[in-house]
Amino acid sequence: MTTKTSLLKVILLGDGGVGKSSIMNRYVTNKFDAHLFHTIGVEFLNKDLEVDGHQVTLQIWDTAGQERFRSLRTPFYRGSDCCLLTFSVDDNQSFLNLGNWKKEFIYYADVKEPEKFPFVVLGNKLDVTERQVSTEEAQQWCKENGDYPYYETSAKDSTNVAIAFEEAVRRVLAMDERTDHLIPTDTVKLHRKPRSAATCCS
Amino acid sequence: MAEETVQKVIYEHEGVFIHSSSDDDGIEQDLLVSGSLRIVDRDGEIIVEYRPLEDTVDPSNMLCAGKDSSSVMEWAQSPGDRSQQLLETQQSYETEWDMINAVSFKKRPCSNGEGSLNHTQERSRWAFTFSVCDLRSLTVKEEGWTFLLFKLKESSTSLPALHFHQGGSREFLDSLRKFALLSESPEDITCLLVSTPNKALSQSFENLLDDNNFGLVHKFRKDPYVTTLGSFSKVTNYIFDAFRGTEEQHQRPPEEVADLLGEVIPGLEINQQEEPGFEVITRIDLGTRPQVTRREPLSAEYWIKHQDAEGRMIRIPHLKQTIFKGGLCHAIRKEAWKFLLGYFPWNSTLEERKALQRNKTDEYFRMKLQWKSLSEEQEKRNSRLRDYRSLIEKDVNRTDRTNRFYEGIDNPSLVLLHDILMTYCMYDFDLGYVQGMSDLLSPILFVMENEVDAFWCFVSFMDQMHQNFEEPMQGVKTQLIQLSTLLRLLDLAFWNYLESQDSGYLYFCFRWLLIRFKRELSFQDVLRLWEVMWTGLPCQNFHLLICCAILDSEKQKIMEENYGFNEILKHINELSMKLDVEEILQKAEGICLQVRGCKDLPAPVSNILGFPTEVFISDLTESGPKSGPGPGPRPQQLQDACSSVQEHLRESSSHNGCKVAFIS
Repeated sequence: MTTKTSLLKVILLGDGGVGKSSIMNRYVTNKFDAHLFHTIGVEFLNKDLEVDGHQVTLQIWDTAGQERFRSLRTPFYRGSDCCLLTFSVDDNQSFLNLGNWKKEFIYYADVKEPEKFPFVVLGNKLDVTERQVSTEEAQQWCKENGDYPYYETSAKDSTNVAIAFEEAVRRVLAMDERTDHLIPTDTVKLHRKPRSAATCCS
Repeated sequence: MAEETVQKVIYEHEGVFIHSSSDDDGIEQDLLVSGSLRIVDRDGEIIVEYRPLEDTVDPSNMLCAGKDSSSVMEWAQSPGDRSQQLLETQQSYETEWDMINAVSFKKRPCSNGEGSLNHTQERSRWAFTFSVCDLRSLTVKEEGWTFLLFKLKESSTSLPALHFHQGGSREFLDSLRKFALLSESPEDITCLLVSTPNKALSQSFENLLDDNNFGLVHKFRKDPYVTTLGSFSKVTNYIFDAFRGTEEQHQRPPEEVADLLGEVIPGLEINQQEEPGFEVITRIDLGTRPQVTRREPLSAEYWIKHQDAEGRMIRIPHLKQTIFKGGLCHAIRKEAWKFLLGYFPWNSTLEERKALQRNKTDEYFRMKLQWKSLSEEQEKRNSRLRDYRSLIEKDVNRTDRTNRFYEGIDNPSLVLLHDILMTYCMYDFDLGYVQGMSDLLSPILFVMENEVDAFWCFVSFMDQMHQNFEEPMQGVKTQLIQLSTLLRLLDLAFWNYLESQDSGYLYFCFRWLLIRFKRELSFQDVLRLWEVMWTGLPCQNFHLLICCAILDSEKQKIMEENYGFNEILKHINELSMKLDVEEILQKAEGICLQVRGCKDLPAPVSNILGFPTEVFISDLTESGPKSGPGPGPRPQQLQDACSSVQEHLRESSSHNGCKVAFIS
């Protein structure tokens, strides 16, 4: 197949404390630290993976969730290929806020066709015993809001984290194919420059 | 002047407005600037010109109309009035930023070249002109009337929206179509992409380099001297990238992200202008950096020796200097920090301090009782407090948890952290709890080991840091502007490099500034750094020189590895816990001495660092209140930002940046 790697920008959004950084760290470094600092500002990590024969470098962006930091967070939404809307199954308010996060993302990322944009919804902290949001409720929301894939994850015990990211990649690749921007060909996408995987830092 | 030469008016329409208070949403109407819009053919070049009508600009009107639009001050004429208003303006942060917003597009419009500068700047502030071939796109919006947003090819420049309150937008677009192809953007039907066919030379450049770089090349062609000075590193990078081939240096998103950050931090655009005269002038020789040595931490015995019989601290300047040079040994921190933070007055007696503590203890527990005694039912109806509490609970559990003092489940220190932050919400309900505050409190509580003292010391620290946490992040934005100004004037080559990577607004320093390096250094090093900074020595805004010192250490790597926007952010983020506090302090002090010793220091630098500036401002009679070395960091910082921005403007207008076209 091809040796070209495409760079996909994925952004994690959701209320403070739902576990965005933990999900990212679990996925990229396979570590979990319950006492990880809350994120200040914006961070990102890269991760190489292969999905259905496509070599991909995921650039995963993690942001501070508090409302106050909006103006310095939203500029980084630009150029995202996928958005992971995250809530915590033990925090109903974070679930209720999903719609706001989606709106904020669409507005600031300047998404041209919001109904087609690949969102993936993550209900994190599956490991906790006291749930406030049921699986059915969450699935219902996803269905009503654009038929988004929904994963219940646990950054703590690693449940579904990799699967969710892979699904995100599939959604993006499917989008690209629909719009006839096939990646593993000789066609070079101008805004997503291929590069050798060796230069990647992670 | 020369502009009245051979030119043909193709389109002209009066009653086109600029809404001064917000130049893109078009909703606020504090100040309407009415003017006329023209398309002219000037020696074959198609120019779009906007000029305000003279009689719409009535300062007295503006004062009433735009009561919180600080554009007011821009219109006022007399120097006396100006400084008066400046003072008033500084009462409100919002107004402050309005001002920066308002002035910022003064230099944004792109010039069509020579001969366009003229007198009456206050009126022509709103005037702009650009060549159609510099236009990238225009967006047509409806808000009961039509308004147009122009985007120039040069991504850093943007123009105020033009509101066609009296019609004429369709005719304007029709006229434009005679000279340029307007095609609907596939992504946004309100956006018309502009392409002009007749530019053979630039087209070849355009093919060579990608579209984003075109603006520069185009400018380069027009005014090589000017552009080279401002953007030399940009050019070299483009060329470098062209040779390197397919590296991911110039993806579109980072550039767009940078554009947006530029809007978020509007004052920075003033820095980002590639404006020739300014940089020529301020290319200063700083001389060699003096070697600085750090000293031992101040000991308990030494501290006690500096108390008189009744417990008043004596020889305070000397004491502060010693703390600045070496910090404090840990045993004395608990007491000394209370003075450094201003909780204890330096000249208070032991008795007075005991009385103070008694009062403050009462006061603290009164406030604590306020949230403690809320019933669950009450809290259900108080969503703000509920949200604060929820976030505090989450953040307390992820603040310095590897530190012995906070580790383990059910650690009582976590309860204290929580309770102090909750009580602070009652102390300052407007601010409440903002992420980052737990980082500022944690070392203080660690040192104080006492809830009440920690609270009041935290209150004092927050007095300094308050602005950082306020709604549109004023404090951090102000500091980013100041830092960018310092860096540009102290290390132009590096600043140019960052700018060429769309990083000139220094967003990557956000975390440093928001919580004063708390996450960058080990816990012990944070204690040292903070006590040194709290002495207020050796100059105002010393923490910005600390930023410069760290950046100075990293610049070689950043430039050699040719890091782009994302890599710079990542590199800086990953410096966390790898920095050495003594090294940084040494370097920062060295920079301070070096800058202080420089004779021809640019006024903005002096202003930010609180050095005397008379020499540089003597000719600027209308300048606002000068920043003295007084206390009160909040107004002080604003003032600094304000005056430094003004300096820029002043310089930019006196040297008439090639990008600004003042029409008479």
